[in-house]
This record gives sequence, C-alpha cells and structure tokens, in this order.
Amino acid sequence: MLAGMNDTESSNTTSHQVVLPFYGYASLAYLAATLLLVFSSNAFTGHYFHPHILAITHIMALGWGTMMILGASYQLVPVLIERKLYSSGMAFASFLLAGSGIPLLCFGFYVFDMGRPAQWGGWLILFSIVVYLLNLAISMAKSKEENVHAFFVFTAALWLLATVVVGLLLVYNFTYPLLSKSSLDYLPVHAHLGIAGWFLLLIIGVGSRLIPMFLISKYTNPRLLWWVYGLINGGLLAFIGLFLYSTNRALLLLPILAIAAALVSFVLFCYRSYQQRVRKKIEGPMQISLLSVLMLFLPLAFLAGILLLVVFGPVDSTALVTAYGFVILFGWITAIILGMTFKTLPFIVWNKVYHLLAGKHKTPNPKDLFSERVFGWMSIAYLVGFVLFCIGILAQNQVVLHAAAVLLLASSLLYNWNVIRLLLHKPALV
Amino acid sequence: MNVITNNQLKATIALAALQNVEDPEIGLNIVDLGLVYQLDFDGDTGKVYCTMTLTTRFCPMGESITHAAQEALKTCFGEEEIIVELSFDPPWNHEMISEAGREFLNEK
Repeated sequence: MLAGMNDTESSNTTSHQVVLPFYGYASLAYLAATLLLVFSSNAFTGHYFHPHILAITHIMALGWGTMMILGASYQLVPVLIERKLYSSGMAFASFLLAGSGIPLLCFGFYVFDMGRPAQWGGWLILFSIVVYLLNLAISMAKSKEENVHAFFVFTAALWLLATVVVGLLLVYNFTYPLLSKSSLDYLPVHAHLGIAGWFLLLIIGVGSRLIPMFLISKYTNPRLLWWVYGLINGGLLAFIGLFLYSTNRALLLLPILAIAAALVSFVLFCYRSYQQRVRKKIEGPMQISLLSVLMLFLPLAFLAGILLLVVFGPVDSTALVTAYGFVILFGWITAIILGMTFKTLPFIVWNKVYHLLAGKHKTPNPKDLFSERVFGWMSIAYLVGFVLFCIGILAQNQVVLHAAAVLLLASSLLYNWNVIRLLLHKPALV
Repeated sequence: MNVITNNQLKATIALAALQNVEDPEIGLNIVDLGLVYQLDFDGDTGKVYCTMTLTTRFCPMGESITHAAQEALKTCFGEEEIIVELSFDPPWNHEMISEAGREFLNEK
C-alpha cells in the first residue's frame, strides 16, 4: 500500500490512498452505531452510564467523528498551512492504529469489560493520536504560513491527545484505583475535552476556512477568529479548573458563557461569509453544513438547562444529560459530516479517477458522482430521526426512540450507499 | 481580468481553448474565473508559456486543473511545447472573476 503511494508523493496534495480508508471506515462506523441504536434504543430511557450507550458514544465520537476528521484533515491541512503533509506513511499508520483500537475499546464498553480489550484499544488509539500530532507538528514547523486556522487544528489535536490520555486513565481506573474518585465523576472532564477541545476547535478552524472558500465569499476576519480561539480555549481551561477544584457549581456558568460567546462570534462569521458570497446558489451538502452551524446552539441550551437543574435542583437531569450527548454526536457532528462528506469525497474520487483525463475528454462533474436524490432522502431520514430521538429521550418513550432509531439507520444506509458508489466509481466519460 | 500576452491573435485562440477547462468545484471555466494571468508565445523555440494561478495555494484540484489547461492548449498548439506555470503573485481573489463569470455564479 505505502509503496503504491510513491506516484503521488511528488504531488502537493495528500494521496487518496491515505484519505479514502478513513472515509470508508467512518461510514461503516456510522452504520454500526445506528444499528446498535436500533437494538439498544431502550437503554436511552435509563441512566446514560450504560454499557451500550458508552459503546455507541465511542463508536460515534471515535469511529465516525474522529476518523472522518482525521482523514479530512490529512487532505485539508496542506490547504490550510500551504505546505505538503510531512508523511503519508505516518498518516496511514495513524489509520491502522486507530482503526484497530476503536473496535477493541468499543467492544470493551459494550460487554462492560474494562480489562485487556478496552485497555489495548485505548493504547492503540493513543499511539494513533501521537503519530497524527507528530505528523501535523512537523508539517506545520516546515510551513512559512502562520494562520489562525492552523493554530485551531494543532491546538485541537493537543486537546484530542489530552482527551485520549484522560480516557485511558478512566479505563484503567475501573481496574486499578489510580484516581481519587470513580471514573464516572471524571466523565464530564473527559467528555468536554473531546467536545470543545477536539471537535469544536477543529470544526471551527477548518470550517472558517472552507465555508468562505466554498461560498466564494469576500469576507475574512482573522481577528474575530482569534477571539473565538481564545474564548474556547480559555473557557475549556476554566471549566477543567472549576470542575476539579471548585465546589460552587454555579461558577461553571462562566466557561459556558465564554463558549457561547465563541459560538455567537462563529455564527456571525458564517453569516457574514454567506452575505458576502459571490456564488449565490447553495447546494444540498452546503445547506446541511450551514445547518450544523446553527445546531451548535442546541447542546449549549441543554448544557445551560443541566447546570440550572444542578444548581437549583434537586431535579433529575439524567434525560437532559443523555439528550445533551445525543445532540452533540448525532446532531451537530453528524450533520456537519453528512454535509461535508459530499463536498470533499466526490472531489477526492474525481481527482483519483479523472485527473489525467481532464482536458482530454469531457468528464463528469464531481457532484455527478453521487446521487443527489439519495442524498435528499438521507437528509430527510436523518433530520426526522434526529428530532424524534431527542423527543424520545426527553419524553422517555420507547416507541418513539425505536422509530427514530430506525430512521437514523435508514439515513446511515443511504449515506453508505452513496459513499460506496463514490469509492467504487470507475471512469465514465461523457 | 486582462490576460498579458505578446501575441494577441494566438492568445485569443488559446483563451478559447482554455474556456473548455473548468474548475471542477465551482463549475466555471478558468478564463472567466480569472485564473489565467499570462500567455506568451516564443516562435523561435516553439514554446507556449501559460502562467496561471489557483483559487487557493495547495488547491487539492490544482494538478487536475493545470493538466487540463495543458491538454486544452495542445489542441490548438499541438506542434509546440506547452509549458504551464503556476504563479501566486498576485494571489487570486474574487475581483478577478469576469462579468460573465459573475453572472454564471449568480445563476448557478
């Protein structure tokens, strides 16, 4: 596999051989997660610390979200830093390590055995992130360009490393008492390192570059993005400090406000990019991606609700916490991936299949390589399934949960159908 | 944006050929997108030089676009050597899009 990459090593862009396995893996992970959702939808009426919920959460966060983002970032980092990725071999090694570690860890959660499979899985994921971080660091060190987007991506990768280290500590803490409290007590820190540090920072860093680029917008505002960067990182550090060392839970509202201010600023950035765009028509994948930006406020509203219940309790906030996690993983992160897959994957495949034929023959457009109709049905199944599942969690209704899970499974089947169609695409000259 | 050239007649032929080359993401041809900066024709050495840019440095579609430009120029100047060079000075910006290109983007 690696030897075959030599023909494209001279190119400025990362080889499709490195990027495509991440897309394929992530698509299957989404399918696996929605399949488990159908069989385990009843678990969502109980406490969120349930083996099946933990397994689904990690399949979504690691197999779906992280694998897709790692793959896409290998393709996009050269665009952001204006420098070739340092090593395709390291990128592929990170795929193999994470790709073998994630099923082990998730299986450990599913059967709730925090012994060897989960521990080995955790270590493999950790090695993968270290390789990813080193590859990014060397690529960026060689870059002459210093821009805010690159800072977002690199800092996000550091938070990802912290998330995985804390996660591994929590796995070991089940068997060996390494920490002063139970693993459940540290769950909010582990989760928010991943949510705000990794996903939020990375998606905003990359999105703030790609959204104006795809809209052909005249708008740029690095100063505003630096504020967003400071607010998210400052908010996250404050959250960790307050969570671990303060007994006054009301103070946690401060980091939430900082993150809320960052989100408002980012939405403002996207809105101005949209207003000042040269390209008027917004395609389906871009519409879903822009919708995901607005979906950022949903988890924030849930988080504020949870905090209010904790401070002014004693009201049970379990369903709200479960819904909070769900709207992040199945809402915001899934929506942006569903949209951005069809803004990136068709171009990677088109480049693979047609780059030597372009100019010689009339070739199809990248957007013709997947079915827009299937994409439309996928979007409907996803949006209805997502809203119903949220209602099901909050109303604790098993029938609604099951019906919603089936719709989400349908969305993942349609998504996979389009992804497989793209991955198996053969030259078709017009 | 005006294309710099040392031979207006040949440049008109070359630009007509280059109008068949599209940026696959935007769907607009590279001439109206303002990616073509300069076309020079060296009759003594039999070389055609095309200086162009990309909407962003390290554009993932860059290689395909420059390759397609080379192939398009070969269709009219098959006897000559085609040299396509990339330049980011000045970097591309939306002001370089032609009126026809803007109309296309307003509709598409």
